[in-house]
Amino acid sequence: MGKRDRKDKEERKSKKLKSEEVVYEEEDSTLDNVDVKDGVPESATRHVEDDAAEDEFGAKDFRKALDLKPDHNSRPLFIGPNGHIFLESFSPVYKHAHDFLIAISEPVCRPEHIHEYKLTPYSLYAAVSVGLQTNDIIEYLRRLCKTTLPNGIIEFIKLCTLSYGKVKLVLKHNRYFVESQHPEVLQKLLKDPGIQEWRKRAEVDENGDTQFIAGELSGKSALHLNKPVRDQNQPETSTAGEGTATNEDGQPVPDDITAFYDKIDNEEEDEDEAQLKTVSFEVKQENIEDIQKRCIELEYPLLAEYDFRNDTINADVNMDLKPSTVLRPYQEKSLRKMFGNGRARSGVIVLPCGAGKTLVGVTAACTVRKRCLALCTSGVAVEQWRSQFKMWSTVDDSLICRFTSDAKDKPMGCAICISTYSMLAHSTKRSWEAEKMMEWLQGQEWGIMLLDEVQTIPAKMFRRVLTIVNAHCKLGLTATLVREDDKIADLNFLIGPKLYEANWMELQNNGFIAKVQCAEVWCPMTPEFYREYLQMKSMKKLLLYAMNPNKFQACQFLIRYHERRNDKIIVFADNVFALKHYAVTLNKPYLYGPTSQGERLQILQNFQHNPKVNTIFVSKVADTSFDLPEANVLIQISAHGGSRRQEAQRLGRILRAKKGAAAEEYNAFFYSLVSQDTMEMQYSLKRQRFLVNQGYSYKVITKLAGMEDENLAYVNKEDQVRLLEKVLQATDADAEEERTVGDGSQMRPNMSRKVGSMSSMSGADDAIYMEYRKKKGSKESSHPLFKRFRR
Amino acid sequence: MAASFTPRKLDCKDLHSYLKTLPGPVLDRLYNHPATCLAVFRELPDLARQYVMRNLFIEQPVSQAVIGQWVVNKFTNEHKYACKALSELRVWYEQPIPGGQPGWILNQTFRNNTKVALLGGGSPWIGGRSTTVDKYAKDIPFLDKYGQDRWECVLHFMVGSSEGSEGVSRDIIEVLNNSGLMKVDATDSNPLITPAGFQFLLMDTQSQVWYFMLQYLETVEHRGMDLVECLSFLFQLSFSTLGQDYSTDGMSESQLKFLQHLREFGLVYQRKRKSQRYYPTCLAINLASGLSGVSSDQEKVGFIIVETNYRIYAYTDSPLKIALLAIFCDMLYRFPTMTVCNLSRTSVREALIRGITAEQILNFLRSHAHPKMLATAPVLPPTITDQVRLWELERDRLKFDDGVLYSQFNSQSDYELLSDYAKDLGVLVFENASKRVMVVTRSGHDDVKKFWKRQKNS
Repeated sequence: MGKRDRKDKEERKSKKLKSEEVVYEEEDSTLDNVDVKDGVPESATRHVEDDAAEDEFGAKDFRKALDLKPDHNSRPLFIGPNGHIFLESFSPVYKHAHDFLIAISEPVCRPEHIHEYKLTPYSLYAAVSVGLQTNDIIEYLRRLCKTTLPNGIIEFIKLCTLSYGKVKLVLKHNRYFVESQHPEVLQKLLKDPGIQEWRKRAEVDENGDTQFIAGELSGKSALHLNKPVRDQNQPETSTAGEGTATNEDGQPVPDDITAFYDKIDNEEEDEDEAQLKTVSFEVKQENIEDIQKRCIELEYPLLAEYDFRNDTINADVNMDLKPSTVLRPYQEKSLRKMFGNGRARSGVIVLPCGAGKTLVGVTAACTVRKRCLALCTSGVAVEQWRSQFKMWSTVDDSLICRFTSDAKDKPMGCAICISTYSMLAHSTKRSWEAEKMMEWLQGQEWGIMLLDEVQTIPAKMFRRVLTIVNAHCKLGLTATLVREDDKIADLNFLIGPKLYEANWMELQNNGFIAKVQCAEVWCPMTPEFYREYLQMKSMKKLLLYAMNPNKFQACQFLIRYHERRNDKIIVFADNVFALKHYAVTLNKPYLYGPTSQGERLQILQNFQHNPKVNTIFVSKVADTSFDLPEANVLIQISAHGGSRRQEAQRLGRILRAKKGAAAEEYNAFFYSLVSQDTMEMQYSLKRQRFLVNQGYSYKVITKLAGMEDENLAYVNKEDQVRLLEKVLQATDADAEEERTVGDGSQMRPNMSRKVGSMSSMSGADDAIYMEYRKKKGSKESSHPLFKRFRR
Repeated sequence: MAASFTPRKLDCKDLHSYLKTLPGPVLDRLYNHPATCLAVFRELPDLARQYVMRNLFIEQPVSQAVIGQWVVNKFTNEHKYACKALSELRVWYEQPIPGGQPGWILNQTFRNNTKVALLGGGSPWIGGRSTTVDKYAKDIPFLDKYGQDRWECVLHFMVGSSEGSEGVSRDIIEVLNNSGLMKVDATDSNPLITPAGFQFLLMDTQSQVWYFMLQYLETVEHRGMDLVECLSFLFQLSFSTLGQDYSTDGMSESQLKFLQHLREFGLVYQRKRKSQRYYPTCLAINLASGLSGVSSDQEKVGFIIVETNYRIYAYTDSPLKIALLAIFCDMLYRFPTMTVCNLSRTSVREALIRGITAEQILNFLRSHAHPKMLATAPVLPPTITDQVRLWELERDRLKFDDGVLYSQFNSQSDYELLSDYAKDLGVLVFENASKRVMVVTRSGHDDVKKFWKRQKNS
């Protein structure tokens, strides 16, 4: 090979390494940065070791480590020694392989033909906790794989699964038990002096430390015990997703794959009869947290399970799903993971926005039929949860109690409490009424806690909420398990493993969520604006690209275009200055942080029902939990840095399946307006990564056809210059204001701190800064208390 | 003679434009063989072919006016084009008709040999089929594979990949160097690939072979071989039958040497150097169809899957194909039978910098698409095609305007005077008042200069 070429390649390699570092920064640091004391077992920080040689192009060369099987064409997987798994979606056994991989690994990207998954300690933890056995995982992987299984992977799976999922923390008759099917594990735990101390011994049983309470896990059968509740109501959905036609395409499928799949399938069902012997010992309630922490240190994380059928202390709540309520197959599937063994497991269910997360939560609550605490992110969301409870279940209105700053219902005799995270985590002085309410909340023993949009809450706040309230089982609901600050990993151990994650493209193709056309509209900066942009050092850069006249025109054009089609349009602008200016100039209603609850609801209702209000402008307060089923067009003017989560959340606003619009190829539109040649371009690339990995594709539009024919604002130079002047007159605070939307206006006293961060903003660490600010931006965290937590 | 090192696009001549460059006497000699005439005839524009047919049996010049009337006015352009093509190739030339009017007459050699080609007769075109049966007879699949392997060897050498290439002879290296596809660095004895070479790699096989042969033909005279003999042999070869063996009897010294070179490129198969028989491979036979610019590799099943998230999965073990992908992709993982790579802005830009165009990249991906990809309407995801094109476009966002710089004004008022004047004329391209510099368009320069002189004098 020639020298120049070699040099080129080396250069490229090093460049690539760099870029790879950037890419993996987020994913890997979830593993690296975790503080062990924070409640994450050491083994979770493990990586699959990967010492594959690189080939001449800088690719990891696995060819020597793996031997191809002779019938590789009919097997669907490649597994790299680094834990990455590639699944062919066109394989005849795709369905089985897909279900299996979802259970044991994290989906990395799922476009049309080839899906990538990754084995991580967390995903394996989740796999074990839903009942998969180490040997089954390895054996099934071996059969699905086109090549031999790398030894490193086998080791890794063993390492991660052997100690996980062996011990459970069970709340029975209001007493906590540590339960396991493996007596030797309990013995081992009891060797630890701490746990010994926290063990609660029955007084009669003083003579033997090692004597356990024998029990039987009537186990898996209880799945069916609770099923009738749902089955009566919607019999037709129960097996909808499970038609197991292995050989639809007439392609040959190796027998061992189907045979094994059937075996695993059967196991899940046959286990009803298997009476599993379990042993357990009781522990003191006041030390639960210590025990949990200690067990994690000992690498036996406790899985929290709630045997709600046998809980006689807490009274059943009289609520069921309405007979008319029908679950979709994927909702059913996700719940089955949760109630898989007749008890309620704690965990997280990941469904795209608009795919009916609330219904999953309501169904879970109706299955448990105990007191239920639902936590969400905003007051509007609280109202939405309340109406959803009423819509789907037979629960009586008097049983639902709201606890927000605006609405405090009487808690007496209520069974379902809906509140926000910030209400609960608030630690400064409260009103007398709220104080009483908190006392009541703390005094209750909650059957199930529903946590909406779990990804948005900072871990520390979360922990606080969890220590305040006592709940038997926790169900987290989210659309995007990504966060720029890597706190997602914590959720695994704060709530529980990820139980289910839906495939966006599949839901879209089945019509459960809208088919969205994503587009990135490139708006060139006008020369005047660009000159200022280049010279500007401060935050106002952001204002300049948000207020770019070309962007304004594009926005105006798109609004007109879609209003003519009778679409309902939401326009998102993170920057309040821009938000107000756009909305006022175009004469449209807008809502943002300081907008009062009443006005918000009024605007939203008008948007939904008033045919004259087709467009609303909103700030980031509407990112999550604003259920606007009518909206089908979304225009994004300014966004929050490179936040992948925000992009996905926003897309979620228009994802709710649209009725009667099936004639067109797409029934929803997502426009992201980007000022060319500015920071926005990089941000937008990063923002899109999550959705792109889910299989969405962005169409780049450099020119909107027909724009010249419209009578748009800011066409002539004078208007543009006037606009520029206006922008330049805006203070840094105007650019700043946007940072603290939400209840931002009350937050002004804390100004000094922000100034400090301002200086870092002008430096090169923009991206990090943005991410950091984001947490603050989200509504709850604007409370002074949470500022302290963020340190 | 060598192609320039930074062409925007590799210029692959078709037969017509190649022959055009040859001097008249050479062309005349070339037409001595029916195969060449037929090949040339086939490549002519439709209308030109019509003219040739009409004139084939007219042994005297025909008035240009008459020929002009064969075509209705609407198609004058086509007529002109056809006439031009025929003249350029010396298929006919001007000769006044008896009345002194300008006329055209067909080239006599061309006429005779085209008659033979179209009507039959004459001696067998190619050295003749061998009379005896070959003990080592080869079937078509073998020849296909042989041709392909040899050719991939050449390409391998070009990408400089160490995997699976056996090395190539001096002759090939020489051709590659001469053609500007590779060049020798002063510090390194091994030749290195040039931007033109990268573009070459992304072309389909037929075009590659044709381009390569053209470059080779440029060098034959240096090697003391006769261009006309080589060319006509090449044309004869392209009319031969695949799977049939031919004898080397009656071939000239120069042609035998040529045959050895063709053997090396994989255009013919010969068991041993001294063997009396040879088989043309599909590379040689397809050569004639590669001329017309029809370009598509249909022979193989595609192997590339392109995803909307910029991932590319290549189902292949061929080190050459992987090396080609590596030109514009970041390579991530290699599994047996499958390779994972990523299309990124950096990787594509690097390819663009090397002179490869976005269209070539897309074409490569499209023509090698996996059958699963072919099932969808646009074979490649539109996002990917758009983005790759945008990456190319963003490289030439700068627009260049010629202009003249005015600077070093003595006073601000002088500067303002002149810049105002230029502004009024609408010829001011750029001004910077604080530095007192301005740029005026080239066309406006004279006026401004005159104005300035007048001002200074007054």
